[in-house]
Amino acid sequence: MTDDQQPAGTDRGRILILLDGSRPSLSALEVAAQMARARQAEVLGVFVEEVSLLRSAGYGFAREVGASSGVVRPLDAAALQTRMRAQAEQIRRALQQALATSGGVQALVHCRGAVAEEVLNLLQPEDLLIMGRVGWSGISGARMGSTARRLAGQAPGEVLLWTESRPRPQCRVVVLLNHDREGNRRALMAAAERARRTHCPLTVLVRGPETGDPAILAELQAELGQWGVPARIRQLPLESPESLLRVLQQERAAELVLSRRGSLFGEQGVDMLSELAMPVTVTP
Amino acid sequence: MAVPAALTEDRIYHYCPPEKLDFETTETLEELELPFGQERMLRALEFGAGIKAPGFNLFVLGPSGAGKHELVRRFLDSHAAEQPIPSDWCHVFNFRQSDQPRVIELPPGDGRAFKSDMNDLAMELKTAIPAAFESEEYQARIQELQEEVARRQQQGLFAIQKEANANNIAMLTTPAGFTFAPMRNGEVIEPEEYKNFSDDEKTLIESKVEELQKKLQQAIQQLPRLRKEVQERVHALNEEMVQLTLGGPIGELREKWAKIPAVVAHLDAVREDVVEHAEAFQDNENGAPAGLLNRYRVNLLVDNAETRGAPVVYEDLPNHQHLTGQIEHRAHQGNLYTDFTLIRAGSLHRANGGYLILDARRVLSQPMAWDSLKRILFSGQIRIESLERLYGLATTVSQQPEPIPLDVKVVLLGDRTLYYLLAHYDPDFLDLFKVEADFEDDLDRDDDSYGLYARMIAAMARALKIRPLSRDSVARLIEHASRLASDQKKLSAHDRVLKDLLSESDHWAAQDGCDKIERAHIEQAIDEREYRASRVRERSLEQISRGVVMIATTGEQVGQVNGLSVLQLGATRFGQPTRITATARPGKGQVVDIEREAKLGGPIHSKAVMILSRFLANRYAPEGELSLSASLAFEQSYGGVEGDSASVAETCVLLSAITGVPLRQSLAVTGSMNQHGEVQAVGGVNEKIEGFYRVCAQTGALQGQGVLLPASNVEHLMLNREVRESVRSGAFSVYPVTRIDEAIELMTGMEAGEPDRGGQFPEGSFNRLVADRLVQFAESGKSRDDSTDKDNGGSNGDG
Repeated sequence: MTDDQQPAGTDRGRILILLDGSRPSLSALEVAAQMARARQAEVLGVFVEEVSLLRSAGYGFAREVGASSGVVRPLDAAALQTRMRAQAEQIRRALQQALATSGGVQALVHCRGAVAEEVLNLLQPEDLLIMGRVGWSGISGARMGSTARRLAGQAPGEVLLWTESRPRPQCRVVVLLNHDREGNRRALMAAAERARRTHCPLTVLVRGPETGDPAILAELQAELGQWGVPARIRQLPLESPESLLRVLQQERAAELVLSRRGSLFGEQGVDMLSELAMPVTVTP
Repeated sequence: MAVPAALTEDRIYHYCPPEKLDFETTETLEELELPFGQERMLRALEFGAGIKAPGFNLFVLGPSGAGKHELVRRFLDSHAAEQPIPSDWCHVFNFRQSDQPRVIELPPGDGRAFKSDMNDLAMELKTAIPAAFESEEYQARIQELQEEVARRQQQGLFAIQKEANANNIAMLTTPAGFTFAPMRNGEVIEPEEYKNFSDDEKTLIESKVEELQKKLQQAIQQLPRLRKEVQERVHALNEEMVQLTLGGPIGELREKWAKIPAVVAHLDAVREDVVEHAEAFQDNENGAPAGLLNRYRVNLLVDNAETRGAPVVYEDLPNHQHLTGQIEHRAHQGNLYTDFTLIRAGSLHRANGGYLILDARRVLSQPMAWDSLKRILFSGQIRIESLERLYGLATTVSQQPEPIPLDVKVVLLGDRTLYYLLAHYDPDFLDLFKVEADFEDDLDRDDDSYGLYARMIAAMARALKIRPLSRDSVARLIEHASRLASDQKKLSAHDRVLKDLLSESDHWAAQDGCDKIERAHIEQAIDEREYRASRVRERSLEQISRGVVMIATTGEQVGQVNGLSVLQLGATRFGQPTRITATARPGKGQVVDIEREAKLGGPIHSKAVMILSRFLANRYAPEGELSLSASLAFEQSYGGVEGDSASVAETCVLLSAITGVPLRQSLAVTGSMNQHGEVQAVGGVNEKIEGFYRVCAQTGALQGQGVLLPASNVEHLMLNREVRESVRSGAFSVYPVTRIDEAIELMTGMEAGEPDRGGQFPEGSFNRLVADRLVQFAESGKSRDDSTDKDNGGSNGDG
């Protein structure tokens, strides 16, 4: 199977990449470019001038406390706007550069508002959203930003929360299945794509008895075999974040794919996700 | 006085009777264990090689080609075989001062094992340490650490955020940091709306924002400390991992090398260094940098694993670098780079604990080599210094290896002149080379030595891998060895000359298809050598035969005699006659040496002429005034004249000129004379006699020609076959003379005459004639002085 071949039934929506100029977002841009090349999909860059930030700069007493130095200096609205324009320009260039080699179609949406709302407004159900797990808030040591949390939960389509991780030998892409058959299918397809992209074998985690049905498993195997992705199926002993973390460690997981509809994806699940130092794809 | 009888054939040649040699060919002869006739040198070598005191290095003196090197090497090889094998030496990285590599001494053979162990360790480090860092345990622990840091980092910030939110203040992230703004229902309030707030509200909010900013600032400023603490903890973890990984292999090595504290200390230093550089090993893709791993390797400088006994090293190019070792450089991207693995041993390192043989002339001709050798011998340790640093041409940082203690015996080989020059001009020389081993040039020839000499020749033949020699040929070779030594009682020990002769004889034997070297082949080799070198001699003879150079070999002549001289050209020398003439007239008692006046005479010749003139004065005018103005000249001599071997000839020709008595031109004369008229030995008699013989022989049939030579020179005669045959037939004679009177009688045919008690010589004798003639000179000189006085009105003036 070549990189350009896709499992049957893959939705060919756009790829939205949320850019704020931070290092994690630029790293996610590279992944978006790769995936756009493989999917031959249109890429839409999104840069949102955060309205609360602009508002805060409007206060006479507004100050910026340096993230590294702790130095307090005045925060000026005009200066902030200039900085944002420059940032937008920088992002535009980065986007063009990243997609220049693939020759893919790209556009940059530059808007103002609350980031999550603006992105949700732009998203279609068949779109793939790629974003860094943290934006500028990463400088404070946060593992998962508030925007990422919100979009992972509320986006209508697939979301790839990208984070850079050190490549490790014999690592695998792990996909977690649940009782929802349609949801499982989408998660499997996304996982197969990630597995092919990263050249890692796949581990399918199932939680019986709903998904542990031998007939369903055989069907799964056959489908995976058809896609040409080496995979193994493994039972998840308990449906708890701790149990999942343990299995992920045992499997040397490099990436995780899970459905938003699964029981592990709740408030507790998102907290668990923030603990994982690996890219996570959330499927509808 | 009786005229001395001509020498018989057996006096002019010392034959070697074949019956003295009890073998058929040299093949059956055993080799000599020790060279014979070199007892003095062997004792010196034995003493020099054995003595432990500092400065007792050896200088073996002898002419070049005498076989010094071979003999010394043979002696030292057998002597060193019983000595203990010296240590191995290696350089290792100095972890405290990287430009000063340390040195480790190991028992012989252990150097290789140590080097191999350290190579294995380096290889193990390359794989084991990254593996340890890859382990789940390490990954988990490092993740825990990182999470803890993130947690702690966030805790502070979250607390502030929480406090801000509680006060309806939003904490926002900017690309460069954080800012605070009042909010309502999770959204930042429009600044325009804020203006409508009461002043109290505004004051409250703004003071809270300020407070939060301060808290945030404090929290952020804590971060570097936190990060540092984490780094330290990561480092400590890395160290712990490395310690655990290294524990096994280094522990084993420590146990293995426990007997050598320096190795144990080095292993500990390596462990510390690896721990310190633990992070550098983490790169799983490329492994640890090669430069880092190289630091743990061993540069085995001296490997004595295969040495038996003490080493005996000969350095054929004894320049500074080859002697003291050098530090090489590698070119890397246009830069020259070096480290302790590029230190190379010199011959002093290799010979440490044993013997180093050097050619003195070569050492002296290499820049700085002699000075470096002396410096090292004085200091007793080998310190590697590059030549460019010694000259001050390079000031770049380089390696300065720890010096290695030196215990070596240096054996210099050189000729005598060099030894005496060094002893005279170099004040250090005798401090460092206290043992003088003087090589004997000639060996005694007696009944005992024949067998030994034959065995020496047999050994040479074997070493040269040539045919064995027959008994006859050895006898001929022994005779030739005496000729080479110019002495009937000596044999030449000159290794190169003898070996060359043997090789040439072997060649002629091969041409003849013989399986051994016969007498004829030795003869042929001698003749061919002589012929090859005879061009100048032949030219000289031709000049005489054509009358260009005037030499008379028949008849009689007043004031003219045949002297004999020797010419040395390269390795060959030959004799030829020279006409010496004299004039005499009344004068002030002076004998003019024309050669000296023309600055062609050397000081010894001048001295001989002065002796001659004092002999004349003392003998013929002991009390009166010697009125003589005489001159002496070497006719057709355009080069310099040196030596006193013509003084007998000069005396004869001067007396002939005084008396007018002719001298026999068929006789040539050689010999020096003292003030009492005694004839003394000279050198080169064989060549001189043969030279005159050839001149006589080429003019036609020999008619009683001959040579007068000092009687004390008779035992130096080893004349060639032609001369011997002519002497046997009486056609050519050699006369030994002890006093000048004997020469006079032979040359003039007159009785010389002994003085009576009154000092008067008998009437009719040659000496009387001389005395009378000198009286005449004195009288004629006096009458002339008188007439001059009269002419000058009594004033003194020279006639």
